[in-house]
Amino acid sequence: MLGVSSLRYLARHRWQAGLAVLGIALGVAVVIAVDIATTSAERAFVLSAETLFGRTTHSITGGANGIPERFYRELRVTHGFRETAPVVEGYVNAADYPARQFQLIGIDIFADSALRSFTAEHTGGSYIKALLSRPTTGLLLADTASQLGVSVGDTIALEIAGRHHALTIVGLLQPRLRTTRYALESVVITDISTAQELLGMTGRLTRIDLALPDELRRDKRLEELRALLPPGLTLTDAAGRIAGMQQMTHAFNVNLSALGLLALIVGLFLIYNTMTFSVVQRRTLIGIYRALGVMRREIFFLVMTEALVIGLAGTLAGTALGIALGNGLVHLVTRTINDLYFVVTVRELALDPVTLGKGMLLGIAGSLLAAAAPAREATTTTASSALTRSSQETGLHALLPRIVVIAVVMIGLALALIFGSTRSLALAYAGLFLGIVGAALLVPMATIAIMRVCLPVAAKILGVFGRMAARGVVAALSRTGVAIAALTVAIAATIGMGVMIDSFRTTVDHWLGGYLRADIYVTPAGDSGGFLEPEIIDRLRQTRGVASLSTGRYLQLESMSGTTTMMALDLPPPALPAFRFKEGDPDKVWPAFATEDVVIVTEPYAWHNRVGVGDSVELPTDHGMETFRIAGVFYHYGSDRGLVMMSRRTYERHWNDRAITSVGIYVSPGTDAAAVRAALTRNTGGEQALSMRLNREVHEQSLAIFDRTFAVTNVLRLLAIVVAFVGVLSALLALQLERSRELAVLRAIGLTPSDVWKLVMTQTGLVGFTAGVLAIPFGLLLSLALIYVVNLRSFGWTIQLSIDAAILAHAVLLAIVAALLAGVVPAWRMMKTSPAMALRND
Amino acid sequence: MLALEKLRKTFHEGNTDHVVLSDVSAKVNAGEIVALVGKSGSGKSTLLNLVSGIDLPTAGDIRIANVSIPALTEQQRTLFRRKNIGFIFQFFNLIPTLTVEENVLLPLELNRCLTPEKRHDADRLLDETGISAQRYSYPDTLSGGEQQRVAIIRALVHEPRLLLADEPTGNLDSETGRHVMDMLQRLVRRHGMTVLLVTHSDQVAAIADRVFQIGDGQVRESATVI
Repeated sequence: MLGVSSLRYLARHRWQAGLAVLGIALGVAVVIAVDIATTSAERAFVLSAETLFGRTTHSITGGANGIPERFYRELRVTHGFRETAPVVEGYVNAADYPARQFQLIGIDIFADSALRSFTAEHTGGSYIKALLSRPTTGLLLADTASQLGVSVGDTIALEIAGRHHALTIVGLLQPRLRTTRYALESVVITDISTAQELLGMTGRLTRIDLALPDELRRDKRLEELRALLPPGLTLTDAAGRIAGMQQMTHAFNVNLSALGLLALIVGLFLIYNTMTFSVVQRRTLIGIYRALGVMRREIFFLVMTEALVIGLAGTLAGTALGIALGNGLVHLVTRTINDLYFVVTVRELALDPVTLGKGMLLGIAGSLLAAAAPAREATTTTASSALTRSSQETGLHALLPRIVVIAVVMIGLALALIFGSTRSLALAYAGLFLGIVGAALLVPMATIAIMRVCLPVAAKILGVFGRMAARGVVAALSRTGVAIAALTVAIAATIGMGVMIDSFRTTVDHWLGGYLRADIYVTPAGDSGGFLEPEIIDRLRQTRGVASLSTGRYLQLESMSGTTTMMALDLPPPALPAFRFKEGDPDKVWPAFATEDVVIVTEPYAWHNRVGVGDSVELPTDHGMETFRIAGVFYHYGSDRGLVMMSRRTYERHWNDRAITSVGIYVSPGTDAAAVRAALTRNTGGEQALSMRLNREVHEQSLAIFDRTFAVTNVLRLLAIVVAFVGVLSALLALQLERSRELAVLRAIGLTPSDVWKLVMTQTGLVGFTAGVLAIPFGLLLSLALIYVVNLRSFGWTIQLSIDAAILAHAVLLAIVAALLAGVVPAWRMMKTSPAMALRND
Repeated sequence: MLALEKLRKTFHEGNTDHVVLSDVSAKVNAGEIVALVGKSGSGKSTLLNLVSGIDLPTAGDIRIANVSIPALTEQQRTLFRRKNIGFIFQFFNLIPTLTVEENVLLPLELNRCLTPEKRHDADRLLDETGISAQRYSYPDTLSGGEQQRVAIIRALVHEPRLLLADEPTGNLDSETGRHVMDMLQRLVRRHGMTVLLVTHSDQVAAIADRVFQIGDGQVRESATVI
């Protein structure tokens, strides 16, 4: 019977119950969506990697020059490593489809079939003969060919290192497994000789994949293999390589998940608000239940069951919404991963039971947790008590000092968690969330203080309405407090993220201003990398208006300890001020950099690898693993995993490689860079297409990538605000519903509907203003934590704090607008409610 | 002062129409205290709501000082009520977020006539009714009798033409109710106000000049004052 009464209560207050369900649904949806998006991207990567690695257990990789092809023959024929397959790979652009980048994989299809199922499936194809005998031929996935409108016999134009090549499609791959089809969607398969020719790697291999026998015999074979490896070649294990790639996006994923949780926390405020209101509103009813002999625990159970119903409904709706939202979010997440880490295409959402279970558990457990306090409060209602609203409020006011003490303890604990460790991201987030809840507990007390200041001002401007509105905020603190806290947390998150992103952007902007010293940057056209031809560099150097050049050789070095990204630089004097050192004296660094076996490393590299000046870096050179002393740690925001830089001269001492991947051109003083670019374009017009970007263009493009990276963050911020908006709407609806008698009286004594509107909107405006004002200090503290703790621990970057007053002003404005918008519905309802109806209960 | 002409009020409840008032006609003269008595649900409060313009009749007319209330727009009715009608409720209905003094001054502020003289009048009323000491208190700290006295001052302070009182002692004990009614009678007589008073209580109805009996949708004047 009690349950029926309870359900009828929820049905009668469907607006409130509906908003609580919506709040929980949005919170759960964001958590699930973030998880789905990151898991889908990760799974797509892993599936793709597993498909492309096949049975490969280990790989042999070369340094800058790859692996001499003869070594593969020796390994297979002389030393009997039969389950081996050579691979030559690189990225290529489809010239006629500007947005499509392909991974070109050159294989020996027969050797490869021992390792990879998709090649084994296709060894019997009629096209094999053409693939092996005709130059510049390749295979495409049938689905991809159909997307591009390509048939067997057609050619596709590939742009590789600025050169165009026509590749004839001689066959279409139709693997049985869906996952294999996904993995091969952006892959072009060629014979090894075609890949060598196209990628400029004649006689060389990118890697040799091996399937070593089971555990027992593997160690022995590995030992044999290591003994055979010439200097410069490295043996890596496939699982380690995949894990290393996954590790790259770990911090990015953790940060996104934390943002999702923030939305859920705001959602929990909402359910707390709803359950508190439902208890308070039914105090008399609960008193009657108690008079009729209902036990305290039964009352507790009743309220908790209601919370469970709301939580369950919200969680189920949130799960469905989360899946839909995840579908949208996955594009933003993969775009960022593609921009920053590696190329991945997600074709299928990963609806992992763990993800769904996590979202559901958070939604339901969170709902019950949020309802526990109101449920306990309900049990304190005695059979004889019919507390007035004012005495309930008085009770809350009496509790406030205790709440403040709890808040201070929580904030203290939060600080201990945040600063108790120096590297743990999980502890930093735990501290951050604890701090947010602690700060939210300070909101009621702070609201009283702010309303004390607002009251005379509001009274002066709006007379009695101003007084009533300001006092109403404090008088109904048990309602307004939670709404203000929820809105404060959401707006503080906006400020925190906004200030962090703005500080980061400003730091990157300043850094780019200093770091990009050259006037023009030259690379092979397209995004697929590649080398600049030596004669091109000569022509660049000889062009009129060019004062000096810097050259760079970008390469990824594989070793057992992972991948190291390195740049070998030949820097003219004007380029040196580009480097601002965090550690190391430039006067000592540069002479050593030019002559000794030293490197300089970026700040993230030093952070992730826990190294500094005086420590050393071990790199796989052409002469084997060699040690280089770190002479300096410099600020660099181009890669979150970090870079090692070495002088060209040092590089050439250890690597037999003369390739150059990029050139920076310094024009003569007083010369127009754009005019020089035009001259360079004329002088280098030939087979290799070049990308020549002015300093300003590189700067702008870098910032555009930066902005794209934070698009997903902005979406999540917006969602947290939407949840808070629902929270405020719910609280205001509850508040105005409760005040319907009071407003009806006011109507009876002469307030016009527009006066009621003014009164309600003034109050909601004050709610928003309070949240906005409180969000400023909370948001700034949050930004400090994000900049100096979370960002540092995630990526190792030093970000200069930069506070734009506009962000703070926008946040306050956002809070007021959100509250006013949320006030529209209750104000409209009150305006339209007949006072006769509201007074009828008299 | 107040004229009800063939007043009719019907409420829709589901598929049926419930007639609360049927062709009611009555007149109340200026300065008169009229008690409206009847059983619960007989339409007493409905009639007050119609007179005050909070609710609209289904048919008929209500004229206060020759102004037809149903002919006014919502806005006009509210402004008319603000200036010309005072309201006293059974449950006091003071504004919890305003102090006693602010509650009392509210109608003056709404009518934009909060002059020093009016404020002085309000102070005098507070003194006279023994509420002065609690002027800065909030309503919930007052007893029921004190709250109703504040509500009466609030209803009178802007000197409306018509005072509507809905069971003004319904939520008070008899002793307190008597004191409150004494005070109400004294003040309205002094100001010569017209009063329409809904009550169940014979004791309260006794202060009236005339008594209207309401029942079966009809209003009839009782032959004698109870």
